[in-house]
Amino acid sequence: MSQGESPATDNPVGYISHHLKPLTTDTTGFWQINIDTMFFSIFIALVVMFISYRVGNNIKTGAPSGIQNILETLIDFVNGLVREAFPKPNKLVGPLGLTIFMWVFLMNAMDLIPVDLLPKAAHMMGIESLKVVPTTDPHTTFAMALTVFVICIYYNIKIKGLGGYFKSFLVHPFGIALAPINFILTIVEEIAKPLSLALRLFGNMFTGELIFLLIAILPWYIIPIPGSMWALFHILVITLQAFIFMILTIMYISLASEEPH
Amino acid sequence: MNVTATLFGQMITFVIFVWFIKAYLWEPLTKAMEDRTNKIADGLASAELGEKKIKDAEEHYKNHVEEAKNKASEIIGGAEQQSKNIIETARHVAKEEAAKVTKSHEQQLEQDTNAAREKLKSDVAELSLLCAEKVISKEVDKKEHDKIIKEVIGK
Repeated sequence: MSQGESPATDNPVGYISHHLKPLTTDTTGFWQINIDTMFFSIFIALVVMFISYRVGNNIKTGAPSGIQNILETLIDFVNGLVREAFPKPNKLVGPLGLTIFMWVFLMNAMDLIPVDLLPKAAHMMGIESLKVVPTTDPHTTFAMALTVFVICIYYNIKIKGLGGYFKSFLVHPFGIALAPINFILTIVEEIAKPLSLALRLFGNMFTGELIFLLIAILPWYIIPIPGSMWALFHILVITLQAFIFMILTIMYISLASEEPH
Repeated sequence: MNVTATLFGQMITFVIFVWFIKAYLWEPLTKAMEDRTNKIADGLASAELGEKKIKDAEEHYKNHVEEAKNKASEIIGGAEQQSKNIIETARHVAKEEAAKVTKSHEQQLEQDTNAAREKLKSDVAELSLLCAEKVISKEVDKKEHDKIIKEVIGK
């Protein structure tokens, strides 16, 4: 790949588009799999699972320390949010929120690794292109948003019943007299939930990565100032996006499991 | 964006990930945290109880000491009283005894004196009789007579 060898400033468009091109399998259509996205997201998931398994299997009942302390703080934090949103205890939302927060946070945090480091290393091993941040791939964000959407529908049907769920499409928000309008509005509202959830995270991370790439095009003696500033700001964005995804998931499921009135 | 296997792969990963975290991290850790909360609450409650117990024990102990002091002073007072009584009684008894002894001695003395007087009287009579016998048996000799009388009296 010629862009990989030459300085970034020589061919900025090629450099950027190269960085944003995912590493895919040779197959086309449905079975074209984004190897880099799958690899990094599963790798992060496995690391988190490994640490969680070790902590969960070796719980100190006395004063907690180290990683257990961090995880307990996170659990307490998520549990507080869930308790505020749910009048009745819900066994799934807590772990779901925690998993979303940890996974999204760590996947976003891959953004903080210098943009050229892993692609260059991959290039040396003969891999042409590599997208390091899984959340800059809409597949990842849509996968999570759709799963949350399915869980929402499950709770809707479980709490309201199948008939009650369809009825809520007709009577909400203007009452039964305007049923067709209500139906369209509620459909749009329901579909907007996973769509906004997925696109918000994807958009934020994609533009964040893009700005890192734009900074990387600058002459090397200018890079440190905007680079470090954007990285610092990006730490906030990473955490905030992970938090927003989690809190919206909790809110959506809380709305879905509301009793009909 | 095309719907590809990546989407479903990510969904499966996500579901497994959530299940794993729920089973191996969330549930044991929340349980441990709850247990700890309960333990701390219990500890605080028992600490409070212990403090109350200490206070009670102190109160109890103070009362006991007070009681013991009172009892001790009571005992001491009683003992003093008793010793006084004993001394008084002893003195009384001794006086009585002394008076008795003195009286009996006086009586003895009187008796003895009387006895001696009686004896003396009888002795004198006997002697006079003896003298008279002797005087009668022997011729009257003034000198001898006087001598005898003197002898008798000298006795």
